[in-house]
Amino acid sequence: MTEHAILIRNMNKYYGSFHALKNIDLEVKRGERIVICGPSGSGKSTLIRCINRLEEHQSGDIEVMGTMLDENVDHIDEIRREAGMVFQNFNLFPHMTILENCILAPMLVRKIDRVEAEKTAMEYLARVKIPEQASKYPGELSGGQQQRVAIARALCMKPELMLFDEPTSALDPEMISEVLDVMVGLAEDGMTMVCVTHEMGFARQVADRVVFMADGQVIEQAEPETFFENPQNERTKTFLSQVLGH
Amino acid sequence: MSVSKSVSHDGVPISIFGAIRKKYFATPTDIVVSSILAVLVLWLLANVIDWAFVKAVFGAGRRDDCLAAEGACWSVIASRWRIVLFGLYPFEEQWRSGVACLIMVIVAALSCVPYFWNGKRLLGLWLSGFAVFYVLMRGGFLGLTPVFEQNWGGLALTLFIFAAVCILGMPMAIVFALLRRSELPWISRTMGLIIDTIRSLPLLTIMFTFAIVSPFVLPDWAVGDKLYRVIVGYAIFFACYQAEIIRGGIQGLPAGQEEAAKALGMGYWHRIGYIVLPQAFRNALPPTINQIVITFKETSLVTIIGFFDVMASGRAASGTAEWSFAHVEVYCFVALIFFVFVFSLSRYGAYLERRLGVGRR
Repeated sequence: MTEHAILIRNMNKYYGSFHALKNIDLEVKRGERIVICGPSGSGKSTLIRCINRLEEHQSGDIEVMGTMLDENVDHIDEIRREAGMVFQNFNLFPHMTILENCILAPMLVRKIDRVEAEKTAMEYLARVKIPEQASKYPGELSGGQQQRVAIARALCMKPELMLFDEPTSALDPEMISEVLDVMVGLAEDGMTMVCVTHEMGFARQVADRVVFMADGQVIEQAEPETFFENPQNERTKTFLSQVLGH
Repeated sequence: MSVSKSVSHDGVPISIFGAIRKKYFATPTDIVVSSILAVLVLWLLANVIDWAFVKAVFGAGRRDDCLAAEGACWSVIASRWRIVLFGLYPFEEQWRSGVACLIMVIVAALSCVPYFWNGKRLLGLWLSGFAVFYVLMRGGFLGLTPVFEQNWGGLALTLFIFAAVCILGMPMAIVFALLRRSELPWISRTMGLIIDTIRSLPLLTIMFTFAIVSPFVLPDWAVGDKLYRVIVGYAIFFACYQAEIIRGGIQGLPAGQEEAAKALGMGYWHRIGYIVLPQAFRNALPPTINQIVITFKETSLVTIIGFFDVMASGRAASGTAEWSFAHVEVYCFVALIFFVFVFSLSRYGAYLERRLGVGRR
């Protein structure tokens, strides 16, 4: 078993002629919690979406849980099974109940029987504190509840690491904390996490390391204390003053 | 007919007459227009009732009474309805054709029950219903006298063509739609070209091509009966239209749906089968029902290639010297048959839309 959950070496990503990610090097150890931040358009989301091949990178290596992400479809499937993902817009399946959302992939992909899958799903729904909503449809839930279901749905696959792509950006302010609470709980249980987020309080509280990106490059990465109190790069300082300024 | 309960501005319910007066007789212009239209409608209604019921002749075999009467001659229906429903099907075997029609109607009714609303059950239901229909109509086993396809006719033939086109065309439409949105440009472009070409041809030419021309091109073993060639041609035509409807339904989905399924590790067919198509069909339900209704009505085009569908059989029913004066009545009867089927289809479609909450999301 490798020590690294994610290993990215000299990775480049282009949209046509636009160079979206430039020579990215990033290591995430097992059990480590990483927060990626940066101004919009800096490539944070693109980077996290490259990790499970929702976007394709053009050069360099990405290794997830010891599996090399290449053209081999088995490798892609393997990585997607082990990396749970939570999206900005929840992306629950609107035509299925909450419970069905949670058991579908475990049954189809992990080949777990329905009884077992439902049991697991109810455990995770209890953990995100909405077991009583299991038979409702996503449209009947609030944004915060939907996002917590989305987290439970990803956890039902029993992933080795979790990717969060701006999980609170589409939420009304009063719902942000209920989602962050779930994420903090997950971090405390030792889950490997990579979070793209603007929630600096969350970064301070749980991150082992904060990665700052701008213009498709990793500008600076440091432990939260150093990152917030003593940023090195000029762009980091500007960004922090804008985010924390008021 | 019911008049919906009206409420005046201050919330006090007002009578039906009050409501009518308020809506239709408020100003002098309203009074004039409404009165003229009301008289016109009543006059038409009176005439129709007079013709269809009061002065009409009912009961079989009353041709001479019909000639003397001013009203409709429903006697022709009573005497000749079997030809309209069963065409040239042998008289003493027509119960088979009747039962077969009934089975198709039952299958259609059953597929409206939510229990059957998944791919496997729906397919199983239609295939078994279709198989029973075929065995009954064709015979040749279980002690049933064989009746060949050229003797099939009337409503039974119409239902057979309609059901076969839908059963064959719907899976084809799904395949076409998926190929059309393939990531490989050559596949999607080729499929697009095929779909656009077939959609720009009249259905009639496609039927002719498959019925008359294709035997010259196809190897002998693939030719089959003319009926099946027409059905295949019609099914391809249906599939091209329906494929575009399904593609529209797929395009209406947020990209995040497929991404979420990918991120959960679901493979292509799982994503298509569980996430994309169920939602695409829900989005595309109104145009799909529309397409099915059109398909049902256009089955009557097969007349021109020499099949006795319900339309042609109707013409045959009044085609004898004995009844030739009563063709209007026969057409009314055929129209009524089409109306019953199409109206139930579209009512069912409206029910589905309400139930699935189309446009509510």
